[in-house]
Amino acid sequence: MNHLAVSLLSLLAFTLLVLSMDRHQQDLLGHELPASQSRILRRGGWLALLASLVMAVAAKGWSFGLVSWCGHLSLSAGVVVLATIAWERRKAVK
Amino acid sequence: MTASENKKTKQTGPRGIRQTMSDLHIWAGLLVGWVLYAMFITGTVSYFKEEISQWMRPELAHQRVVPDAAEVAPRVARELQQLAPDSPQWSMRMPDERNNVVSTFWRAPSTENGRRVFGSAVFDPATGLKVDGRETNGGEFFYRFHFQFHYMPVLWARWLASFCAMFMLVAIVSGVITHKKIFVDFFTFRWGKGQRSWLDAHNVLSVLGLPFHAMITYTGLVTLMMMTMPWGNSAVINTPSDRQALQAQMSSFLPAPKPSGEKLELAPLTGMVQQAQARWGTHNIGNITVNLAGDAHAQVTITPSEAGRVSHSPQYMLFNGVTGELREVKDHVGGAAETRGVMFALHLGRFADTTLRWLYFLVSLAGTAMVGTGLVMWTVKRRSKLPNPQKPYFGFWLVERLNIAAIAGLSIAMAGMLWANRLLPLALDKRAEWEIHSFFIIWGVTLLWAMLRPAKRAWVELLWAACAALALLPLLNVLTTDRPLWHSVLSDDWSFAGLELSLWALAALHALLAVRTLRHQPKSKPQPRFRAVVTPNTEDTQKAAP
Amino acid sequence: MSLRMIGTPRAALAKARQVGPLLSRIVAAIGGGYALAALTSIAAVLLPMDKFQGVLTGMMLSFIVYVGAVIWVFAVRSATRAWVGLLVAAIPLALASWPVWNGVNAA
Repeated sequence: MNHLAVSLLSLLAFTLLVLSMDRHQQDLLGHELPASQSRILRRGGWLALLASLVMAVAAKGWSFGLVSWCGHLSLSAGVVVLATIAWERRKAVK
Repeated sequence: MTASENKKTKQTGPRGIRQTMSDLHIWAGLLVGWVLYAMFITGTVSYFKEEISQWMRPELAHQRVVPDAAEVAPRVARELQQLAPDSPQWSMRMPDERNNVVSTFWRAPSTENGRRVFGSAVFDPATGLKVDGRETNGGEFFYRFHFQFHYMPVLWARWLASFCAMFMLVAIVSGVITHKKIFVDFFTFRWGKGQRSWLDAHNVLSVLGLPFHAMITYTGLVTLMMMTMPWGNSAVINTPSDRQALQAQMSSFLPAPKPSGEKLELAPLTGMVQQAQARWGTHNIGNITVNLAGDAHAQVTITPSEAGRVSHSPQYMLFNGVTGELREVKDHVGGAAETRGVMFALHLGRFADTTLRWLYFLVSLAGTAMVGTGLVMWTVKRRSKLPNPQKPYFGFWLVERLNIAAIAGLSIAMAGMLWANRLLPLALDKRAEWEIHSFFIIWGVTLLWAMLRPAKRAWVELLWAACAALALLPLLNVLTTDRPLWHSVLSDDWSFAGLELSLWALAALHALLAVRTLRHQPKSKPQPRFRAVVTPNTEDTQKAAP
Repeated sequence: MSLRMIGTPRAALAKARQVGPLLSRIVAAIGGGYALAALTSIAAVLLPMDKFQGVLTGMMLSFIVYVGAVIWVFAVRSATRAWVGLLVAAIPLALASWPVWNGVNAA
């Protein structure tokens, strides 16, 4: 259960962080968002990252928690990057 | 590169640091790439070595409940004392969630030409008797191969592994410097068309797993550091008591004390194990080591399970072997020793629960693919510069063929060992060794195939062969044992079932690679205009293709 | 680049001049880097901790020094600079290691 929570939170975090970047807004949404919205997305992303860290460490202690967190980060980052690439490719084909 | 980027990069000379680091990265990676690939893939599968071992011992039933160590220990101890009487030291590892056997080793009482002789055996925890089944090393082979390879002296092998790990560390750091931008612009990979897709795949795999790759490489070096960097040790650790004190910071193995010569029966282990269980938990018992069983100076050392902590630093309870009373509890070491212990644990990943273990496996697999794509990229990039792609120079030819055998061939060899496990006659003498010989024989054959066939065909054929070898294993299992996949699933035996399902997933991966390789059109060097009409496979045909 | 091209002694000398610096850097990186790492592992014993922790710390630090040295050797402008850099780093480490190696440090 804890693994799922950490995993989902880090997925959310990276999704928000990706969407907060101008370059990706251009590619994924077709236009750039206003700076204030980007700021909210960025802060939300970092908050979600922090939340996932807290979830991991609170449930499993510092040793297991940190390692678990790092593992989930790697996987979530991978998923988000690949999803971004796939989405951009689909848009390019259209 | 934009103007702003130019200001950021250090221009130390006409070539620039990113270019030199790129060159360093490529050469460091290529020279040891094949060995590194083999180390990476065997390391990756070693995270599930216990499950592989279970699959390779199908005669041993699925363990539904982890047996109580307090009951298992005396059973096996009785057998060991008969098997190795007068042994100055024997050790047994208790079964746990992933291990349905008791692994033991012992020191023979006499020496052979002055060198210690060790024996080892695997016991059934339920009966205490030696495992009644096929003789096999199980997944341990892949684990040992990872840092000791085979057919070579252990010390040489470990030096080779360390050498390659050092090159890997250089490749990581130089790779990061080459792509400094990665930290600024983390998520902006362009999935390029054609050639660039290899570079992008290599980059994505490298960067996403960068913390893991750096950690695993550095901690790997640490595991062998006593051998590779002994100088500080040689300088100040000179007396036997100093050596023992340093050992005590690193390992729970206590050297056997001098025997008294007086024969006294070893106290029953049950009581001692129960004391350890009271301290660490019922199912948290790791190793039980007995020094001088049957002697008045007998000692028993019990360690907690590795699954319970993110450190390999020594922790143990030391008992008087004759009376069973607790003599010493060791539960901490110095700061540097604890750091080393944590590094060991991070590398081995034995503390990981199922989810975390899968994360380790997946990121490690990505690392394996990182090394593989790097090796392949070398030939892809250089092929476009070849004057005659059909007749490359020797260096290119060699790299290309070694790539095929080291990557596709290795998959076939690893699957092949599991085939050998099911097919070799049970009564075959030295059966476990023959499983290993099969691995190398098959690997050798794939190298031969790679050298005799045209390169691209060899890739595709061997990748399909790997797919078949992996996918058919569950079928082979149905035909040769009474533990078919559906039975494992229905009886909740997820070690067995999980392994077979993973084999299918890996088979699918190889099929995907085979299909993509078949479709891949290599870019050749642009031909001089007067030959454009005649030569095939030029950019024109590529543009024409959909 | 095939061996056929090295026909005359002058050509051989030219080739050597081309390859020499690279070979020099490789030696500096692999051999010199290891030497620096080894010196680090000895000098670390002088750190404020008992000698057992010092020995272990030295070993763990040595690999960082090794990779740093290798990167340095290939990052700088010339093979000569590479060697000079290594020597400059080696001097304090060697000075620190000398007493340790000769047992003056009895911690």
